[in-house]
Amino acid sequence: MSTVNRVKDILRSPARLYLVAGLALAALSLIQIWTGANDITSDGASGATLRFSIPLLMAGLGGLWSERAGVINIGLEGMMIVGTWMGAWFGFKSGPWVGMLAAAIGGIIAGLLHALLTVRIGIDQAVSGLAINLLAYGTTRFLSGVYFPPAGGDILTSPYVKPIALFTVPWLSPHLISLEHKHYFFISDLAGIIAGLITRTSWASLLLMMALPLTIWILWRTKFGLRVRFSGENPVASESLGVNVYRTRFIAIAVSGALAGLGGAYISVVSTGHYLENQTAGRGYIGLATVIFGNWKPMGVFAGAVLFGWTDALRIRQSDSVHATLLAVVAIAVIVALIKLYQKKFKVAIISLVCGSLVLFYFFAQKVVPDEFVTFFPNLTTIIVLAFLSQRLRPPAMAGAPYRKGEE
Amino acid sequence: MQKKSLGKLGVAVLASASLVFAVAAPAAHAATKKVIVGIAYDLGGRSQPGFNQLAYIGYTDYLKKYPGAGLKESQATNADTDATRSSRLKLLVQAGANPIVAVGFNYITAVKTVAPLFPKVKFAIVDDNSINLPNVEGLNFKAEQGSYLVGAIAALTSKTGHVGYIGGVKTPLLQAFEAGFTAGVHKIKPTDMVDVTYISTPPDFSGFNAPDKGHEAALGMYQNGADVVYAAAGGTGAGVHQAAQEQGKFSIGVDADEALFASNISSGSAKAILTSALKNVNVGVASFLTDVKTGKFKAQNKYFDITNGGVGYALTGGHVSAAIQKTVNALAKQIAAGTIVVPTDPTKA
Repeated sequence: MSTVNRVKDILRSPARLYLVAGLALAALSLIQIWTGANDITSDGASGATLRFSIPLLMAGLGGLWSERAGVINIGLEGMMIVGTWMGAWFGFKSGPWVGMLAAAIGGIIAGLLHALLTVRIGIDQAVSGLAINLLAYGTTRFLSGVYFPPAGGDILTSPYVKPIALFTVPWLSPHLISLEHKHYFFISDLAGIIAGLITRTSWASLLLMMALPLTIWILWRTKFGLRVRFSGENPVASESLGVNVYRTRFIAIAVSGALAGLGGAYISVVSTGHYLENQTAGRGYIGLATVIFGNWKPMGVFAGAVLFGWTDALRIRQSDSVHATLLAVVAIAVIVALIKLYQKKFKVAIISLVCGSLVLFYFFAQKVVPDEFVTFFPNLTTIIVLAFLSQRLRPPAMAGAPYRKGEE
Repeated sequence: MQKKSLGKLGVAVLASASLVFAVAAPAAHAATKKVIVGIAYDLGGRSQPGFNQLAYIGYTDYLKKYPGAGLKESQATNADTDATRSSRLKLLVQAGANPIVAVGFNYITAVKTVAPLFPKVKFAIVDDNSINLPNVEGLNFKAEQGSYLVGAIAALTSKTGHVGYIGGVKTPLLQAFEAGFTAGVHKIKPTDMVDVTYISTPPDFSGFNAPDKGHEAALGMYQNGADVVYAAAGGTGAGVHQAAQEQGKFSIGVDADEALFASNISSGSAKAILTSALKNVNVGVASFLTDVKTGKFKAQNKYFDITNGGVGYALTGGHVSAAIQKTVNALAKQIAAGTIVVPTDPTKA
């Protein structure tokens, strides 16, 4: 009995994250050995995942900051657009790091506008967010027409920005890659994933990744963070306890804008090297989806960004590998079914098994997963999370609700 | 809440469309007697190598012969709908443009809507043969033939026996490129592997405009063994060439001779471009403008292929050896003579 309790303890402790990650990696490793798809955990796929995930992560953390303070931020997409433009133009003028800084400032300005409209004036938060998106779109179009053509671009394209330097960790990176190519079970996969993160990685990636631990630390470990979250949960009570809700929300939304702006600048300055109209392609909205997927928690947002970035990377790099990962879905369904059987929840177990066998059937019946499906994956996942896990989602209680100082 | 914001989203999308349109539209000037050529571009803009730029070059070629014609341009955006494209064409007409060139099959519905309203204005549409109107000419290119030739060059150059094709958006037009390329590769080396990736699928046309994804897609192919990758993906191709340069492998450009332009993308990426499958939209546009000028315009579909300089391959960079050129030119002759029929459907390639 005691061993069972010990296992239960482990499953309840934070260590279960490592357990889950380890199991997932082992499953992927087995799948690669079995199907011969060898790009799922390669260093290239891991590097591509990093580059695709960062804009989503930045937008997601931006959404998290804002919603934790009680204001829904649909304007993330617009703030990212501002970031792409500012990053590319000032990057072209004064170097890529200045561009990143300018993008953050542009995002803050857009964020403060959102804060002014929603917090101070009291406009509906969704309406204000959409207004920001439209405004960002129109303004950047106008500014592109004014500034880009004389500088050597055109109305849709900026001139090229000097790239931000890449780094490769010496010794470790080549050794990990040679370990990866030996194709040992599990170890090589782990080596490949780590190698991808430390080989030819942009300094900007490293810098922006710091936003994740910083967000966790500020929002959950500081007095200011407590006030931010309190403003989102119960602004009336927090005002009565002396928190300046308006000011707190202004700051939180400005941070939200800065993060989204940096995410946008990452797309234009780091990934592409120049501004292209509409290059965010809805990634602000996907970022918003990671907030829901991640249950309004930073690590959840991170998991969502990595999952969506990874599926995109797999599809873009080698579409066979997406097909192979269907087996991982089957494995998850079987594990869920077993757990639910153990808990004597037969209905859920049967549903899970049926879903799993349908996916398994599809795996053998078809050779490829349609591209359309992969593009749609983040949307689908969010819908599934909303539909089946909505009982367990814990959004900030007053996110989206209007709040006027001094009113109940 | 969800439902409400969705409704708002709809309104917002409409509003954004009209906003874009308003920003894009140049103020209409009163028509003068001077001939003004109108060009409505597809995604990407004319500063990027590709068929937009070639359409513009077609206009400048025409100017050399018949100087004096003005130009009105209209830019596309990812958010374009048939309605906004129609409005942009109308604005060109109202600004006094005649003749008007619509670049790309995205304009099919717009041209069908607008052309009957202005029977005196002559329209040309690139990459379409479906419109049957008295004032519209279709300019079609047998792009699969150019793709076939670069496919043969790729197979003759590849050391790994593994090449790749990156298409911008999965449309029949781009699948014809794929079919031609694959057939060309397999003509030379029937067992060579051809990786195929499309960046996006309709109605999402962002795949023509996503160098970051092109870069990752090409890296994926190179890291999995391919050493020549053909990018038929408009602006996305820049990322593919950059990946080729980083990996020390070859890429192949499309439409324009991309090696001439790629130096401004990243230093040295022009050197990685093995060749480009030329689709000389400029030849088509210039021929349309000349027809209008000389009164020879008629409602028809013109086809440009190997026989009339419509398609071909580029030699800039000096990577294609004389021996390879000889083999490929022999294939070109067979295509021109009709002994090789290049497929347009990848499932039959």
